[in-house]
Amino acid sequence: MDVKEAIGCAMKLAALLALWTVTAPAAVWTVRPAGPMAHVQQAVDAAGPGDTIRIEPGTYVGNVVLDRKLTLEGVGRPVIRGEGRSSVITLKADGCTIRNLIVEHSGEMLAEEDSGILLHASGNHIEHNELRDVLFGIYLFQSDNNTLLDNVIRGRAWLGMGERGAGIHIWNSTGNTITGNTISKARDGMYLQNAYHTLVIHNRVHDLRYGLHYMSSNDNRFEDNQFYDSVAGAAIMYSRRIEFRRNIFRHNRGFSSFGILFQDSENCSAEENAFVDNAVGIFMEALRASTFRRNLIAANDTAIQAFSSASGNTFSQNNFISNLSPIEVVGRTTGSRWNEAGRGNYWSDYQGYDLDENGLGDVPFKIRNVFERMEGDYPRLRLYLFSPASQALAFSEKIVPLVRGPEEYDRFPLMKPIDMHVEERPAAQQEPYSIWAPLAMLGASLLVMGWGRLR
Amino acid sequence: MDLRTIGAIAGQELRVNSRNKWTVSFAGIFAALALAISYFGMVTAGEVGFQGFTRTSASLLNLVLYLVPMVSLTMSAVSFTGERGASELLFSQPVTRAEILTGKICGLFAAVAAATCFGFGLAGCVIAANAGAEGSMAFLVFAGFALLLALIFLVIGALVAAFCGSKAKAFGHALFVWFFFVLLYDLLVIGMTFVLKEHTANRFIFLSLFGNPVDMARVGSLMALGDPSIFGAAGAALVKFLGGQARAMLMLLMGLGLWVAVPLISAVRVLNRQNL
Repeated sequence: MDVKEAIGCAMKLAALLALWTVTAPAAVWTVRPAGPMAHVQQAVDAAGPGDTIRIEPGTYVGNVVLDRKLTLEGVGRPVIRGEGRSSVITLKADGCTIRNLIVEHSGEMLAEEDSGILLHASGNHIEHNELRDVLFGIYLFQSDNNTLLDNVIRGRAWLGMGERGAGIHIWNSTGNTITGNTISKARDGMYLQNAYHTLVIHNRVHDLRYGLHYMSSNDNRFEDNQFYDSVAGAAIMYSRRIEFRRNIFRHNRGFSSFGILFQDSENCSAEENAFVDNAVGIFMEALRASTFRRNLIAANDTAIQAFSSASGNTFSQNNFISNLSPIEVVGRTTGSRWNEAGRGNYWSDYQGYDLDENGLGDVPFKIRNVFERMEGDYPRLRLYLFSPASQALAFSEKIVPLVRGPEEYDRFPLMKPIDMHVEERPAAQQEPYSIWAPLAMLGASLLVMGWGRLR
Repeated sequence: MDLRTIGAIAGQELRVNSRNKWTVSFAGIFAALALAISYFGMVTAGEVGFQGFTRTSASLLNLVLYLVPMVSLTMSAVSFTGERGASELLFSQPVTRAEILTGKICGLFAAVAAATCFGFGLAGCVIAANAGAEGSMAFLVFAGFALLLALIFLVIGALVAAFCGSKAKAFGHALFVWFFFVLLYDLLVIGMTFVLKEHTANRFIFLSLFGNPVDMARVGSLMALGDPSIFGAAGAALVKFLGGQARAMLMLLMGLGLWVAVPLISAVRVLNRQNL
C-alpha cells in the first residue's frame, strides 16, 4: 500500500465517520457519582458532536474542557467543582449549551483568565447556571454570538476589589447577548473591552465596583437592568454609540460613587432611565454629543457632576427631582444644551411661573446658584451645604447678581414632571422604620409638659 | 452642689416655662412646620414613584437650625432676667449661684426638649406611617443633635443674660447672638476661604466648624441621616482630617460638649462676681 492509497483510505474513513456523526441521532450520556461514568470529562471524551450529557445530582471534582459541540445539562443542580487552578469549564467548540449547573472553585490567576466558564468559541448558550467561588464568572475570549441567560454569579467576596475578576468579562467579541443574570461581589459586574453589538438586558448587578463597564466598546445597547449598591452603576469609557433605556441606577453611594460615569465617550443616548439616590447621578468627563431624554434623576446628592471637558450634550424632558444640588461643574460650564425643540427639563427646585399656560416656565431656570458655583472652585465648601448662610447667598443672588460669569440656564423649564413609570426597585436591606421611636418621643414630651402644667 | 436643690429649682423652672406662652407657641409652631415638611415631603416623593427622604430630612434640619437656637436663646435670656422680685427671692435663699444656674438650665432644657420632641415625634410618626426610607436610629441621632443644640443655646443665653442685666438688653443681645451663629459666622467663613490660600483654606474650613455649634450640629445630623458622602470630597476629607467616621462623630460630640461646658462655667463665674 503506497502513501496515496493510504491517504485515500483514510479520507474514505473520515467521510464515513462524518456521515455517521451527521446521520446518527444525538446520543444522550448520563453522568452520575455512582458510575459507570463518574466524571464529566469522561463523558465529554466519549461523546460525539451534538450529543447531550446529562449530569445527575452530586459533586464532580475536576476541570472540564469541551472540545466538541455538546450540551452539558444538569439534572437537579449538580456541582462541578474545579481543581482550583485555571478555569472550571473551558469551551473550545462552537454551539455548545451549558445548563443548570453549579460551577465553583476556579483558579486564581487574573492574567490566565481563570474563570468559572471560559469561552473560546461562538454561538454557545450558557443558561441557568450558578457560579460561585470563581475569579471571573463567565469569560468570553474572542467569542461571538453567545447567549448568557439567567445565570447567578457571585465573586470572591473575601478578596479585595482589585484582586477579583469581572462577573462577565467580554474581550474582543461581537454580537453577544447577556440577559437576566444576577451578579454581585465581583470587581466589575460586566466588563466589556473591544466588544461590539452586545445586548445587555434585564440583569441585576450589585455590591461591586462598576456594574457595567465598557472600555473601547462601540455600538452597544443595554436595557431594563438594575444597578445598585456599587461604586458606579455603569461606567462608559472610550466608547461610542452606547444606547441605554429603562435602566435603574440606584443607591450607589460612597465618597466618589456614581449612578453612571462617562469618560471620553461620544454619541451615547439615554432614555427613560432612573438615577435615584446616588452620591452623584450622572458624572461626565469629556462626554460629547450625547443625549439624555426623559430620564428621572432624583434624590441624588448631586444630580450631575461635569468637567468642562464635556461638550455638546443635550438634556431634554428629564425630571430632576429633589436632588441636593442639581449640578456641580469643575471648570466653567458643562457646555450642555438644556432643551431640545423648545422643551426643557422639569426641575423640582424651579420657582418660576407660567402665565401663558403653555406648560413652560416663563422665567429661565438658573441651574447653578452662587453657592454651588463657589463649591465648584472650593469643593470643601460643601461642608456648608444646607447652612442657612448658603441659602441666604442663593436667595440674595436672585435679587442682586453677586458673581458674574458663565452660567447654565434651562430656558424652557417644564412646569410639570414628565409622566413616566419607574419600576419599583428591588427590596434592599433597609432598616425597617419603627414607629416606636417617634411615639416614645411624643409620649415623653407630653409627659414632661403635662407634669409642668399640672403640678 | 446639692442635687435636691437643683431638682427643686429645675422643677420650678419647668413649671413656669410649660405654662409660658413662649414654650407652648414654640411647640405648636415647630410641630406644625415639622408636620408640614414631612407630610409634603412624603406626598411629593410618592408622586414620582420612589421613596426619598433626603430632602425631607434636610428641610427638617433647616427648621431645627433656625428655630431651636432662637427659641433657646430668647427663653433663657428672658428667664435669667426674670421679674426682679422672683429672682431676688431665689438669690436670697441659702443656695449657691451655680446651683441656681444649673437648676434653671435643667428646667428650661426640659421644657424646650419636650417642645422639640413633640415636633419630632409628630413628624416621625408621619414619616413612619408613609414608610419612609430612613432608619429610626438615624432619626433619633438627628433629634439628639437638636436637643444638644437647644442645651448649648440655653447656656449661651444664660451667659448673655448674666452680662446684660436688663430684660430688653438681654433679649436684643440674644437675637444678635442668634444672628451671628446662624448666619453671619458661616458667611464670614465662606468669605474667608476666598482670601486664604487653598491649602490653608481647607484646614480653615474644617477647623471653623468647631467654632460654631450650629455647624457642628448640622454636619453631625447630615452625617447621621445620609452618610459623610453627602458632602462629597469634602466629607471624605473631613473624615480623614478627623481620623475616621466614628472619630469624626465623637469629635463633633466632644466639640458640642465643650460648647455646653465653657459657657456654663463662664456664666457661673460672671454670676459669682456680680453684686446683685
